[in-house]
Amino acid sequence: MSSEAALMSLVAVTEAIAAKRLSSYEVTRSCLHRIAQWQPRLNAFMAVEAEAALNAAHEADAALAKGKIAGPLHGVPLAHKDMYYEAGKVVTCGSLIRRDFVASTTSTALRRLKDAGSIRLGSLQMAEFAYGPTGHNSHYGAVHNPFAPDHVTGGSSSGSGSAVAARLTFAALGSDTGGSVRMPAHFCGVTGLKTTYGRVSRAGAMPLSQSLDTVGPLARSAQDCALLLGLMAGPDPEDPTASDAPVQDYMAAAREPVRGVRIGVPSTFYVDDLDAEVARILDGTIAVLKREGAEIIPVELPDQRQLTAACQIVLAVEAAAFHKRWLIERPQDYGAQVLMRLQNGLAIPGVSYLEAMRWRAQALAAHVAATAGVDAIIAPVAPVAAPTIAESDVGNSAGAEGVIQRLTRFTRPINYLGLPSLAIPAGFTDGGLPVGMQLIGRSFDEATLLRIGAAFQRATDFHERVPKLP
Amino acid sequence: MMRPSAKEVTAMAEVAGVPVNAEAATRIANSIGPAFDGFAPIAGTLPFDIEPASFLLVQAAEVQS
Repeated sequence: MSSEAALMSLVAVTEAIAAKRLSSYEVTRSCLHRIAQWQPRLNAFMAVEAEAALNAAHEADAALAKGKIAGPLHGVPLAHKDMYYEAGKVVTCGSLIRRDFVASTTSTALRRLKDAGSIRLGSLQMAEFAYGPTGHNSHYGAVHNPFAPDHVTGGSSSGSGSAVAARLTFAALGSDTGGSVRMPAHFCGVTGLKTTYGRVSRAGAMPLSQSLDTVGPLARSAQDCALLLGLMAGPDPEDPTASDAPVQDYMAAAREPVRGVRIGVPSTFYVDDLDAEVARILDGTIAVLKREGAEIIPVELPDQRQLTAACQIVLAVEAAAFHKRWLIERPQDYGAQVLMRLQNGLAIPGVSYLEAMRWRAQALAAHVAATAGVDAIIAPVAPVAAPTIAESDVGNSAGAEGVIQRLTRFTRPINYLGLPSLAIPAGFTDGGLPVGMQLIGRSFDEATLLRIGAAFQRATDFHERVPKLP
Repeated sequence: MMRPSAKEVTAMAEVAGVPVNAEAATRIANSIGPAFDGFAPIAGTLPFDIEPASFLLVQAAEVQS
């Protein structure tokens, strides 16, 4: 059967279903058809719930026939990273320890998307407990990059990046604690939004590091991310850290031209030690934005290495604290890589952790002062395109640890500062691997990032390129 | 702020209630060492009157600016 419906953007398919040009059933079947083709090669899904999805699609079509529309996502099939609790569903968190865990509550982010009318296709693979940047998973196998199956997807939202890129789901929730939305977006050629800390409720999302965790979408365009963020953002009585900062009109922002927007280009750190092709694509991205009317301004940022170090300290301690009981009772049930990462937090003194937390205010204030003259900053997501699965497999490759450290270099400072960052497909290497750039904004100003990202995507077609079955 | 040695890691993990063997202690010391080194210029320099929640005030001020 045709899989054309599954190739549409999220915004386009919502409009097609609402206008009855396509039924939810046709759209869901189209996604399931692609999943059947691609899943054996990608391992992107943790579970596919085909029958339930088709039944839900039938119900959505019947409701629409009676003039009842649940919301902006009426009848749209979606799948999400397997760490968002849904009452009555198994949520593995990519782990052996939670292989049979059945959630008793539904996460706020997921509930808001369901209330808007979305349908559940199944759940998506991820790094064990969201603690890994590549897409390896020793329990459920590595997820594969649709553009080059021997290469990593990036993690920890590995299934989200892979499934969105292969057009198996129109969008997917990921989570970003140290780069876990942006890296899969970069490596898989999709758009990913790391939200401001506190912008989207974390209630019912598996925790990794309560001071750094953020909920965000991976989708096929900035416009799609705008639609999803508008549905999820805002305060939540179940998460006291969910901010009541005003929710912007993200869809309106995504229609605005970029003319007059001031974009900063860091003079150091984010432009150092880049692979030649990433450097070329960064220059090309800046040239497009300039041509579209953005003002490009060099910026001097505070020392980003100190931010990375502080992020590592906070993440290591908070993750170890969440996992302490299982580290005592079930250490054998962790994958070797994740166990090693969790043990790191045991050796950091409480005073050092609290110093890293106390410095955060000063560090953010220094960043705000340094970037006062710009609306956003542009930087690569990582200095390289996707490495191979083999060369980044800790335990089986001598150089893997070095490869992994390099991958997270440009993402962790942003998590420590709690800032929003939009990863957009910006080009391809000569070997056909996607390369993404991140637009880093002011706290709670996702609208400006979506405005820039959407303008860039109106001028380019990197986000529309669809991988082909090998 | 000094990076901990493998021997110190062993002691801290023991105190934390999750003992690790010598091999793991060495690996942990090597793994977290760079974070200690990177944060060293900040450690011990912070003014008295800031706490972790001060971060939220800076965030909020950014929205209002």
